[in-house]
Amino acid sequence: MSDPQHETALAGLAGQTNTDGLAIEMSEITGRGMIDLRGNLADRKFSQAAKKVLGVDLPKAPRTSASKGDLVVLRLSVDQWLITCAGGKTAKLLDDLNKVLVGVHSLAVDLSDARAIIRLKGNGVREIVMKGAPVDMLAPEMIKGAVRRLRFGELAAMVHIVDDRPDTFDLYVFRSYADFAWDWLAQTAAKPAAVRLFGRQDSPAV
Amino acid sequence: MLVIKCPVCGVEGEEGDFHAGGQAHIARPASSNPENISDIEQSDYLFMRHNPKGLHFERWRCDRGCGKWFHAARDTVTLEFKGYYAINELPPVELMEQAKGYWAEHFASAIKSSKRPKS
Repeated sequence: MSDPQHETALAGLAGQTNTDGLAIEMSEITGRGMIDLRGNLADRKFSQAAKKVLGVDLPKAPRTSASKGDLVVLRLSVDQWLITCAGGKTAKLLDDLNKVLVGVHSLAVDLSDARAIIRLKGNGVREIVMKGAPVDMLAPEMIKGAVRRLRFGELAAMVHIVDDRPDTFDLYVFRSYADFAWDWLAQTAAKPAAVRLFGRQDSPAV
Repeated sequence: MLVIKCPVCGVEGEEGDFHAGGQAHIARPASSNPENISDIEQSDYLFMRHNPKGLHFERWRCDRGCGKWFHAARDTVTLEFKGYYAINELPPVELMEQAKGYWAEHFASAIKSSKRPKS
């Protein structure tokens, strides 16, 4: 009998790419567990049950996140959160959530394999993301912990600002689009492709 | 290009981040017995849409943001968005009063009931 083999979305591609000529560091984040949680935050039973298991309040303000240790809660919508944790802890966390949410109108599902995460690090990450998305990544709200769902090079994607000193972004895309996003970034992040947003732009070499 | 602001999550973006849902406030012909609905009424409900010059009321979805539907009032001449309101609401009274033609008729009773002093 053949056993199922788990491959990460970018298992082949990420290793093959020559990253020497890139302006930023790019890598695939693997081994993260992701749980999609939906519910009504106005329902105290729901918010308290979630807090009991997660250890943090579900972030309420738009485009924010909360974290405790290795566990990160990203706010996707008014009634939707993405909980990411170390892969090995996913099953237990999901089990705990489902136990405390019995009888509460809500949903918690393991979506660990639905999305791929590409980590972008270094100066110029914001400019590169802005090449693919009509979003002002230099806005004051784009600080550490911010979460922004966006249209990224025609994909539905999400950016989580893990750190802003230096800029470290996690780009979440659906798994089946991961290779497109990776290729797009590998070309767009090349050093000669850098754009300067402020000041004089060099004329292109003809 | 349209610049749209989602009233649910507050995100502002261009039209590619949103999904147009067509004309707002379309009511299905009500009847306890579907046989009573004439073919004309049913086809009007399904297919006939208004395309006014000026103020128009539309449904939009915050497609690449919070994923929620909302209503918007847009001027089809200037492409300016005049206001946003929740998916389960009627427009603010001042916008209903600015409406002309089909929309003025559509909102006439709603304007009247909003003017009635609350007892």
